[in-house]
Amino acid sequence: MSASAGSLPRFIAQRVLLVIPMVWILMTLVFVVLRVAPGDPISAALGGKLTPAALDQRRHALGLDRPLIVQYGDYLGSILHLDFGKSFTDNQSILSVVRDNGGATLSLTIAAFLVALVIGIPLGLLAGRLRDTAPDVLIRLFGIITYATPIFFVGLLVQIHVAPLLGLPTSGDASPETLFVVPERTHILLVDALLSGDWLSIQDVLTHLALPAFTLGVAICGVFIRLVRVNILQTVQSDYVEAAQARGIARGKVMRNHAFRNALVPVITIVGLQMALLLSGAILTESTFNWPGLGQKLVKYINGRDYGAVQGIITIFALVVIFISLLVDVVNALIDPRVRY
Amino acid sequence: MGMRRHLGAISGAAVLLLAVAACGSNRDSSAGTGSSTTGGSYTLGTTDTVTAVDPAGSYDLGSSTLQYSIFQTLLTIPAGGNTPEGDAAQSCNYDDPQTLTCTLKPGLKFSNGDPLTSSDVKFSFQRALTIADPNGAAIYLLASIGTLDKAGNVTGLDPKAIETPDDTTVIFHLNKPDTTFQFVLTYPGAGDIVDEQVFPADKELADDQVIGSGPYKLSQYKAGQQAVLETNANYSGDREAKAPQVFISYYQEASALKLAVESGEIDVAWDTLGPTDITALKSNSDVTVAEGDGAAIRYWVWRTDSGPGKDQAVRKAAAQVIDRAAIAKNAYEGTVDPLYSIVPPGLPGQVDAFKSTYGSTPDIAAAKKTLADAGVSTPVKITMGYTPTHYGPNTVDEATEYSRELEDSGLFTVDTKSAEWEQYQTIYKQGAYDLWILGWYPDFLDADNYLAPFMVDGGFFSNGYHSDTVNQLVADERGTTNSAQRQADFGKLQGQAATDVPFIPSWVGKNVAVYGAGISGVEDTLDPAYIFRLWTVSKSS
Repeated sequence: MSASAGSLPRFIAQRVLLVIPMVWILMTLVFVVLRVAPGDPISAALGGKLTPAALDQRRHALGLDRPLIVQYGDYLGSILHLDFGKSFTDNQSILSVVRDNGGATLSLTIAAFLVALVIGIPLGLLAGRLRDTAPDVLIRLFGIITYATPIFFVGLLVQIHVAPLLGLPTSGDASPETLFVVPERTHILLVDALLSGDWLSIQDVLTHLALPAFTLGVAICGVFIRLVRVNILQTVQSDYVEAAQARGIARGKVMRNHAFRNALVPVITIVGLQMALLLSGAILTESTFNWPGLGQKLVKYINGRDYGAVQGIITIFALVVIFISLLVDVVNALIDPRVRY
Repeated sequence: MGMRRHLGAISGAAVLLLAVAACGSNRDSSAGTGSSTTGGSYTLGTTDTVTAVDPAGSYDLGSSTLQYSIFQTLLTIPAGGNTPEGDAAQSCNYDDPQTLTCTLKPGLKFSNGDPLTSSDVKFSFQRALTIADPNGAAIYLLASIGTLDKAGNVTGLDPKAIETPDDTTVIFHLNKPDTTFQFVLTYPGAGDIVDEQVFPADKELADDQVIGSGPYKLSQYKAGQQAVLETNANYSGDREAKAPQVFISYYQEASALKLAVESGEIDVAWDTLGPTDITALKSNSDVTVAEGDGAAIRYWVWRTDSGPGKDQAVRKAAAQVIDRAAIAKNAYEGTVDPLYSIVPPGLPGQVDAFKSTYGSTPDIAAAKKTLADAGVSTPVKITMGYTPTHYGPNTVDEATEYSRELEDSGLFTVDTKSAEWEQYQTIYKQGAYDLWILGWYPDFLDADNYLAPFMVDGGFFSNGYHSDTVNQLVADERGTTNSAQRQADFGKLQGQAATDVPFIPSWVGKNVAVYGAGISGVEDTLDPAYIFRLWTVSKSS
């Protein structure tokens, strides 16, 4: 008892300590990859305009001509001081970029997550319940197609065919007027709109959220469909389900009251791990729908070879994923003591 | 039960989200139509990006589009014109090619009520050169009033360069004869006037805090997302704002911009829609595609100090073979015009030198003779370079078309190579290609800005070209205030380019905007200056 009680804090401490080398390796990789890739922020922005001498002058002003090891040392030093620096291409502090754009990414990922759950779990349950029937095959096919289809392609189809039908906007997170009138309090537009109490603004924000959330949600619901289906199949074959049926309890009742609930337990664990998939999907969704989130910013900064901005945003992305993974590990350890050993 | 309750809650939330969204919003996505407070306002969509709203930190189209409306410069290019006129200045006149005297209009004020005086003008240039932002235009365009180090880099404002004898007079003492300086003053990144009471002398002001004296003031700025402009009550100049509010929405992809203007989410789409998008929108009766003369050009550069391009006859033959009309039609769906000089039509001093020297259509027989007379054995092997995305996907089509034309002549064999921009703009300077494509958009609307950067000592693209005659002609046109003399010099420079062929002009783009119902005034601003004058556009309420 005492050994197991003492192992949980130790387990958490180990996981937390592991975060440090993980972040360091990732930061180093990002630093190296960006420097190995051709170009720099100066040449990307002004290479078609200035002479080589003028470009060199500007590189010097930014310190880009210093030895890599010096730049690397500065980079690590500033991260240790939680100074993520400023973007070169639009002169914004990275923390303000995260603050101003992180809310949009958060709204999109949560909404997409809800869409994925609403579509994925019932379909997965249904497919498991109706194993090897036509609906099962169709649902499995749907799951495979949604998982395999590129998000930008789904997004484009939705923009061209669904948006005009439903009168939904195809870009942005709100109309310009709403962005102007909603006071910025939390930097999460939907929350700010709710706080403002302006129903038109709330409706406008939700309207803009619909298609991007649907697109990203559909893209990840395939994982849930397959996962829930497999767990349902395993559960219905378990002894306690057979025992319940043997006692004369109706199959439908057994499924509802016992099988479905137990089948969803492992899903909850996996759901947390979908965050990385969601974030990578968000980058594509944001680009397609001109959604003003961190993913869209990241693409812009990568195209502009904006070293500081890319490093900052990826580091923050990584910290979020690592934090969620850590949380899942801890929850797992709490639920299942075997994990701690 | 608990699990089902949670599932029910999740389902409920998602269904609610979709249901509310599907109901559609009563607020029109197109700003200005859904609220009485913004009647007559309009939304402009663009794929341009803003580096900084503070003029000291920018040298790009997205920033300058905002700055033209927020700030005043001493001089500006009027709509449809091509010579500078007074903006904050009543007049600017050269006393001699090194001295420019400007007199400010009386009663100018910034949007916060501060008076705009000659002291603010001097402060603006001084701070831009003090900050010397690597992203800014000042250290590149203001060399004539700067102090220079041994390498020729600008290190600050020459203390004697700007004289302000009274509140309304500014005298520029240039360190060399430079009649292009009056044009430099029209460019926001170099010539915007800022309030010395508000802007720090040695660092940039945060984007959302800038104020100016232009027809609009900045009411909201969300980087990469939206800018909102509202009329400046203290503005007393000639650029009367027709819309009380202008929303500018920033897009990352042209495809999203096209969808937005088609669906009415924005009222005007300007810069940049691709040729395919423009062609598709022309058949959409809900929108109007407006076209004006443009100033953005594409051209092919020859490496002149090595490889086959070292031989002038080879360069000339390639100029005789090019079929510009076919490139415009096949690669750009007719959305661009053939260009027969590196200076686009409409600018004072422009002459179609390549047309008068080589004709307007390909002449393969003449090309064959050019090569034969020079004793060049054919086919000439050349390496052609292009970059597939930086100038848009149609660049690939242009390279394919031109290489086909060269090979079909039987005089050339072409090895076509491409590289992404970041690598491309480094390796073409290092001699990776014999012939490569580049684009140019001018800083200011003067033929000099199409000639000097291209022809003086190998140009900014370092193609090895050098001509004492050219260098002297550039010095001459910059050293005279006589416009007839300047135009004559421009003509000679273009003639020299056609003779020496350090580059081959290909096409000039049009200035295109697409707008929806109720919008007027867009055509008034579509000219080669490539300034979207937000104040000329209005939307009927």
